[in-house]
Amino acid sequence: MLFNSLDFAVFLPIVFALYWFVSLRYLKFQNLLLIIASYVFYGWWDYRFLSLIIFSSLVDYTIGLKLKNEEKALKRKLLLWASISINIGFLGFFKYYNFFVDNFVEAFSFFGSKIQANTLNIILPVGISFYTFQTLSYTIDVYKQKLEPTKDIISFLAFVSFFPQLVAGPIERATNLLPQFYKARAFHYSNAVDGCRQILWGLFKKVVIADQCAIYANLIFNNSSDYSGSTLVMGAIFFTFQIYGDFSGYSDIAIGVSRLFGFNLKQNFAFPYFSRDIAEFWRRWHISLSTWFRDYLYIPLGGSRGEIWIKIRNIFIIFIVSGFWHGANWTFIVWGFLNALYFLPLLLTKKNRYNIEIVAANTLLPSLKECIAMLMTFSIIVFAWIFFRAESIIHAISYIRNIFSSALFEAPVIRPTYLIAFLFIFMSIEWFGRKDKYALELLLLKRKRILKWGVYITLIISICVFSGEEQEFIYFQF
Amino acid sequence: MKRFIFKITLFVSVFFIVEKGVYYFLHIAPDKEYDKRLENILKGNMNKELVVLGSSKGATDILAGQLEKETGLISYNLSYQGSNVVFHEFLLKTLLKYNEVPKKVILVIDIPYEFIEEKTLKFRIDRLYPLSKYNYINKELINQKEKNILSWFLCSARVNQSNFKFKNIKPPHFNPLDEYGSGPYIIEKHSKDLDYSLKKETYNIKDELPYKIKAFKSIQKLCGENSIELTFVIPPNFFDLNRRFVKRFRKLLTDENKLFVYDTVNPIYRDEKYFNDYSHLFINGAKVLTSEISDFIINSDNK
Repeated sequence: MLFNSLDFAVFLPIVFALYWFVSLRYLKFQNLLLIIASYVFYGWWDYRFLSLIIFSSLVDYTIGLKLKNEEKALKRKLLLWASISINIGFLGFFKYYNFFVDNFVEAFSFFGSKIQANTLNIILPVGISFYTFQTLSYTIDVYKQKLEPTKDIISFLAFVSFFPQLVAGPIERATNLLPQFYKARAFHYSNAVDGCRQILWGLFKKVVIADQCAIYANLIFNNSSDYSGSTLVMGAIFFTFQIYGDFSGYSDIAIGVSRLFGFNLKQNFAFPYFSRDIAEFWRRWHISLSTWFRDYLYIPLGGSRGEIWIKIRNIFIIFIVSGFWHGANWTFIVWGFLNALYFLPLLLTKKNRYNIEIVAANTLLPSLKECIAMLMTFSIIVFAWIFFRAESIIHAISYIRNIFSSALFEAPVIRPTYLIAFLFIFMSIEWFGRKDKYALELLLLKRKRILKWGVYITLIISICVFSGEEQEFIYFQF
Repeated sequence: MKRFIFKITLFVSVFFIVEKGVYYFLHIAPDKEYDKRLENILKGNMNKELVVLGSSKGATDILAGQLEKETGLISYNLSYQGSNVVFHEFLLKTLLKYNEVPKKVILVIDIPYEFIEEKTLKFRIDRLYPLSKYNYINKELINQKEKNILSWFLCSARVNQSNFKFKNIKPPHFNPLDEYGSGPYIIEKHSKDLDYSLKKETYNIKDELPYKIKAFKSIQKLCGENSIELTFVIPPNFFDLNRRFVKRFRKLLTDENKLFVYDTVNPIYRDEKYFNDYSHLFINGAKVLTSEISDFIINSDNK
């Protein structure tokens, strides 16, 4: 089920009503209802893969309990590796099997040997990358004794399958989300209203910004050889806003929906396109994944401690693995590699934690220096997105080569005025709301109701005008 | 909770009232268009004896006014540039729903792209958007998955970004629509030189798209059910006739329908003075072709 579908518009009020009115006083009923709702939500796409979530949940639940009772280090390690192998095994099979087989065959043919490729027609289960990482974080935290394993299987199943964030995150840590299933939830008016506001803003980002940018980004990327340099630059910029609107929009809806049910999920995007360097960008983009890799991969590898080459190695590993997490294609690996390259100068000059606070934290507008820094960071991000969006490395290279043609300084052929106006308004709102968790959080709070409602109604009308066929979220494929 | 439910209900009610203001844009959108043919169909103002359907080839190459004079049948051209056979089927259905049944329909064939993938030929959704205030059009937009069922209840879900126009759309400079719905190229001037091509084009049945074949068969069925005399017209290109396509095309015809192929030995169809580009005639060429079609219709009637 998609957040931007009519099915979900019917599903959400039903679950909301059952949750607060029918099972109000019974925590177990509420959790059970959330499990059922989550399985319906997921099964709407393909019920066959529900068994995979249930199996994965049961494995980690059991291993968590066994870890509690096991004191021998070797057996504890074996249990941890059993969980990692099963979870990563599923992920590897569904997501990467064909990629490895194809590359294996190509590598052999490069050396002159011909072998038969046995690729399979595999459907990638939606959200597998997200819930796998979520369950893994539970087992690893239990192993490291940062978290007490739960005996409450209903809470655990609800934690793994919690529908707002099941298919595209934010990837929640068990330490944050799981305890929320143990406690009775109370309905708070302000939380619910804020949740609705965040859902609205997320839908606007998805339907108006991302889906409209997608029309032009797809047109330009799919016919890149037909367009001049300046139009190709526009295509890359449209994709830059598409992916941000799409993914951060999904996160906003997920967080907003969770708040309606009394849950607090972590912020996943913090205005990344206002970053002044790439390190800041990665602290603001897909925060739940970046911190997951930081805590479960980067730090165990040694992090920023040790010799300089160890630091460099770790940076490349984390970025390349992060790229590969997005999909089984060399384009994602190159995208990760490119980001590691961007990051390297900051690491070597120890400036990777230079910009921690949001830009122009105490002023209305940024300084010239900040403007230049933001523009340069934005430019290199746009460049890297070309690899992310391209069908193949060859496509990305030809796209870039065509950008730097003589026609780079001509007016772009494709320049939809309405969309450029929308992007300008959108980024202005984001700018004025950059100090909050999402742009609309506090921006209108103290304004007159007529203005607030006027803005909300305008946003809904824009969503309705641009809503046609339901467009999938980009991160569903990851 | 009560407060929340109350506020949400109040907000939804206010929204429901305020968003009706969008109807203004729905209402004025048809007036901004200069091509009012589809709206006239919907209003039942398209009661003709002979109707031409097709893409740009039909629009530019066939002069409905001349057909009317030569055949004595009240004629009109409903060809739309860049439209495909599915759109032609939609037009015919709409025509039959709201107007008197025509005696004859001419369907102009895009050789060799009628049934295969061709980016420039599509269902002209953009022609439907300005008319989305009509329920019939809205229903079609939902069928085409351009709109969802919310558009039955909300004006804002029915309106499209193209409806927010404040200026009237101007007719094209080179081929404006005439009073009979045709849009011939009136300025006989090339943008570049043309070379007549003799190369034989191939045609592969495997490339045919089932939904286009289905639409084509549906047009024949609709005409059969309504006793309409259906004539297919294959107009000239500035290259040799693709006989493979014609052979295949004949196999798709039902017995009662007729096929007209332009006079392949007529030297004007090899003279660039008569062609705007490789696929479209100038008005001087259109006059010649239309005259051939008129003769074909008159001769068919006399048999």
